[in-house]
Amino acid sequence: MKSYHDIATDGGSGVASQVADQESRLLERLSRIDHVVAVMSGKGGVGKSMTTVLLATALAQKGLSVGIVDADINGASQVKMTGIARQVKVEDEGVSPARTDSGVEVMSIDLFLDEGSAVRWNAVTERSTFTWRGMVEVAAIREMLADTAWSKLDVLFIDLPPGTDKLPNLLDLVPTLSAAIVVSIPSEVSSYVVNKSVSIARESLQGKPILLIENMTEFVCPNCDTVHKLFESSSDAPTLDVDSIGRIPFDPSLSRTIDQGMTFDSVSGSTATAAALRTTSDRLLEELVKPQI
Amino acid sequence: MKFLCVDCDSQMALSETRGPDQGSMTVVFTCKSCERQIAMLTNAQETQMVHSLGVKIGGRKSEPRPMETIRGSLVGAAGDGASAPDATPAPTATSAPDATPAPAATSAPDATPAPVTDESESEGKCPFSTMVVEGSQPQFAQPDGIQWTSEAEERLQNIPSFIRSMVKRGIEDHAKAQGVKLIDKEVMASVRENMGM
Repeated sequence: MKSYHDIATDGGSGVASQVADQESRLLERLSRIDHVVAVMSGKGGVGKSMTTVLLATALAQKGLSVGIVDADINGASQVKMTGIARQVKVEDEGVSPARTDSGVEVMSIDLFLDEGSAVRWNAVTERSTFTWRGMVEVAAIREMLADTAWSKLDVLFIDLPPGTDKLPNLLDLVPTLSAAIVVSIPSEVSSYVVNKSVSIARESLQGKPILLIENMTEFVCPNCDTVHKLFESSSDAPTLDVDSIGRIPFDPSLSRTIDQGMTFDSVSGSTATAAALRTTSDRLLEELVKPQI
Repeated sequence: MKFLCVDCDSQMALSETRGPDQGSMTVVFTCKSCERQIAMLTNAQETQMVHSLGVKIGGRKSEPRPMETIRGSLVGAAGDGASAPDATPAPTATSAPDATPAPAATSAPDATPAPVTDESESEGKCPFSTMVVEGSQPQFAQPDGIQWTSEAEERLQNIPSFIRSMVKRGIEDHAKAQGVKLIDKEVMASVRENMGM
């Protein structure tokens, strides 16, 4: 009796060919983007999304063409943090991305929803949603990548949700990923969890850069600019064996700026945070360009 | 997923799709050798899984619209094709860049989401109606593109039904071996001669 692999076609269901078409459309769209960079962390609450928008803005302020895909479907925050208008314009070549004041192009599921509305999917049954929810979320990320009418971008950041499995899932969609940025905070627990993500990322990326950004390393006093450590480092804390490209201090004025959806000026700003962002974005560019030299 | 007729050891081909109805989809497959049919009946979770892939069973007649899964499946979305009972009005495409999200023109409590800017949107209200090929037309193809003339098919009907499938398969195998794409009365005569029928 024949086995699955003895039969070449799908008998007319057309599913396999449609999935292949989806992949082709995605790769064709990504072919117009120079560098796709995932921003990840196994741990939640370390500032992935904020780091993403700050880096994207810093690069845009240097004159690069930059985009962000908010891949945190259930915790999308880029629309709020960038202050972009919730509007959806569908054209033949795709859905137009929103654009921040700095010119960063953004696509997020939040653009399709009223402010404050949570993501809920139409379903014929609410039972056993675990069987399909992951699939529809991956489909949503694929569509945001493939069906957005991106400009010709220098860098596209993909802001991933927390979880060690997120990067391998993304690599299935985007095999051309250039690098992964791992965001962590200098706490023992964060290092413990993020280390797990790094080891999975190392297996998945097969030699492509894994770059560490340490967030909330210090606290900058808004009155006197004195720098204080936020976390006591312990000798037991696991070290993250990846190249660090920057340390971003916790800055209340930065938090307020982001909360209000305003653009943080990293080019002309004289604060410690602005300086850190300039250094970090420069280091990122070096790492992205290095393989091409 | 592929379907195999165990008796014939031959792949079954999709011949019809029905539904989805109350969360269940019917997909009929036919054995191209013996014409036996089976129907795959999905439960709600299986229907949902197919829907989540963003594909149509039976293939597409037109290119997918941009972000059709998001716009068709997200409750309350701009472009929501499902209009869940409690769906809130979706943001419109005409909002000024600095404007807060504008509600749909009819902001009654049971208002449906605002119209999309994509005017080519023509899918039905049921989000799952997009899962099957439009028209549910039979997709059953003859093996390897072999066609029968109406005269040959008529002659085939003269063969007793209990043995017709086997004979048909034998004729098609013979035609395939001879590189013949169209079975007519001459081909049938040739088979009869070779097989001693």
